[in-house]
Amino acid sequence: MYEIRFHGRGGQGAVMAAQTIAEAAILEGKQAQAFPFFGAERRGAPVMAFARIDDKKICDKTQVYEPDMLVVMDESLLDIEPVAAGLKKGGCAVVNSKTAPSDLDLGIKVRCISVDATSIAIELLRAPIVNTSILGAMVRANDFVSLESVQRAIMNRFGEKLGEKAGRVNSDAAKAAYDRAREGTCRGERKIVKKNAWLPTWQETPPGVAIGKTEKAGMAVGPGSMSQNLTGTWGGANPVYDEQKCIKCQRCWFICPEGCVHRKDDDHVEFDLRYCKGCGLCAKVCAKEAITMRKKGASE
Amino acid sequence: MRSVKALTGNQAAAYGVKLCRVEVIPNYPITPQTIIIEQIADFINDGELDADFIPADSEHSAMSMAIGAAATGVRTFTATASHGLALMHEMLYVPPQVRLPIMLVNVNRSLGAGSGIWVEYNDSMAERDSGWMQVYVEDNQEVLDMVLQGYRIAEDGRVVLPFMLCLDGFVLSHTVERVELPQQEEVDRFLPKFVPLNRLDPKVPMSMNIAVSPAHSMEMRYQLDRQMDSARSVIKEVDVEFAKAFGRSYGGLIDTYQMEGAEVALITLGTATSTARVAVDELRAEGKKVGLIKLRFMRPFPHEELRKATKHLKALGVFDRSISANRFGPVFTETRNSMYGSDIPITDHIAGIGGRDLTVPVFKEMFDVLEKSASGKKVRECTWHGLRGEM
Repeated sequence: MYEIRFHGRGGQGAVMAAQTIAEAAILEGKQAQAFPFFGAERRGAPVMAFARIDDKKICDKTQVYEPDMLVVMDESLLDIEPVAAGLKKGGCAVVNSKTAPSDLDLGIKVRCISVDATSIAIELLRAPIVNTSILGAMVRANDFVSLESVQRAIMNRFGEKLGEKAGRVNSDAAKAAYDRAREGTCRGERKIVKKNAWLPTWQETPPGVAIGKTEKAGMAVGPGSMSQNLTGTWGGANPVYDEQKCIKCQRCWFICPEGCVHRKDDDHVEFDLRYCKGCGLCAKVCAKEAITMRKKGASE
Repeated sequence: MRSVKALTGNQAAAYGVKLCRVEVIPNYPITPQTIIIEQIADFINDGELDADFIPADSEHSAMSMAIGAAATGVRTFTATASHGLALMHEMLYVPPQVRLPIMLVNVNRSLGAGSGIWVEYNDSMAERDSGWMQVYVEDNQEVLDMVLQGYRIAEDGRVVLPFMLCLDGFVLSHTVERVELPQQEEVDRFLPKFVPLNRLDPKVPMSMNIAVSPAHSMEMRYQLDRQMDSARSVIKEVDVEFAKAFGRSYGGLIDTYQMEGAEVALITLGTATSTARVAVDELRAEGKKVGLIKLRFMRPFPHEELRKATKHLKALGVFDRSISANRFGPVFTETRNSMYGSDIPITDHIAGIGGRDLTVPVFKEMFDVLEKSASGKKVRECTWHGLRGEM
């Protein structure tokens, strides 16, 4: 049995990628399974999806804890999630990155395929939805399914939903990634830190599905504890503020769905980028164009 | 030609509904069920299914509409989960006694408080007294196949009772698997046109679901009890017919795995059966005489079948994914009741509560307890597996 774990961000199409690779295997007469991490998904938030492929019927219905293949659809996840945890020795990794495999540090030294799937997606799909490109790179990493089957599965899934043309460009994206993918071995220097979690025994569990503001296992729990979740990492852009143009109308402060526009004593505003998801509403409502949105990583 | 598709459990249910030519689908969305009715809405929109799709203002209304539609003699379907099923509770008692063979897919999800969206059986188990048949399935092919079998069983003149198909939230509902789709003509041959027992028709007036005095209600209730009992043979018969038509068989009320020569066995239901198969394979490879009984129907309950299948065992365990506070899981209670008078030690094994992942080691731990029990050692009557903190 071959097990795959996908790490991406909500909106990149990790679940669809898992389903498509499963469908490609099924088209080849194999058995396959694909499922998301069972939870709520939000755009930009770190998400996981899983797939299993085998020649015989797959009975194991658990999540994938020790994958043969790791698919990293967003490189920035390496810094905030224990992405490579459990990856089998002798397994492989497929990473969406401009960097060559030998310069990527996954925390485990394995065979690695890197591909600039974001550029391919923007070039062919005009959107940073990298799932179909990454599928092409996956075929390059392992021959459990052929590129032809993956392209057929893409046509089935995307073509049915979005029309034949959309199916074709997505299929082209897979082919482009297959051609442009770079092979090598990644580095294993990074320390893979297990996520902190408070797991009390039943005796320690507070009664009444209720908890006050407190600290457990080195982190805050209860009211206000969500502030530890730095959702600013989810966004693709940040506001840039020009105080000179600002007329202190406070519309940005009013509209921000995340509450990260703060009023200063002089009624100018400041932005708490730790929680800014880059939605751009503040810039949209600004009457004086004092706020502009800048893509992360873009030069000033 | 039959086609093979990569489908989620929810999609498989929707394809089943299409193949059964269901005519009325009242519904109200709820996670993790919503994709079923979305897929059905797509079929209707694309002209692939000729049915009335009625968005209701609650699950209570959805079930009320289903009752009204079925009473006019049309094949009816709805789907829900968890709190949605709980809100239907009042209306769930109508179709069994009024003898309306409605199909309801319940995508199992735990009931709050401690609200979650993940699988647990405390939603559907609470409805096992309502008079609905209940089947629990382990993969997406079985989802599709049991929609087909379910209508045939429910509409059979010897049964005429509503059918609740329970499938595990997320573990099936959102998981893509290989599903073989039969051809429409094959399904049409297998599932004849629905002929209702009674039918509301303005030209031939009939009182239906009227107030009933104590002078009559007891006989009606006993009739329902007998009706559920006669479903047992029909379920087995339909499974045989299904195997003839489509080449797949599920064993009727229960199925067994590696029971030949087994000294200890575990009763499982839902997707737990699937992962437990892996545990059984691994333990058998170590030379351990373990087996599995897949409980498919909770209603009618396979009491005779279980007694027969367990006769030669030294210990029997029952897996439960829900709990009646202080009195075990419901599958255990029903099993021990059915086994009354038997010498075989029976233990309850609670796991996967609130959707906690059921892994192969969890099932191996259950078999460990069973082996101890078989060798005469004292073991707990009920063990919670994967629980943090000493029991």
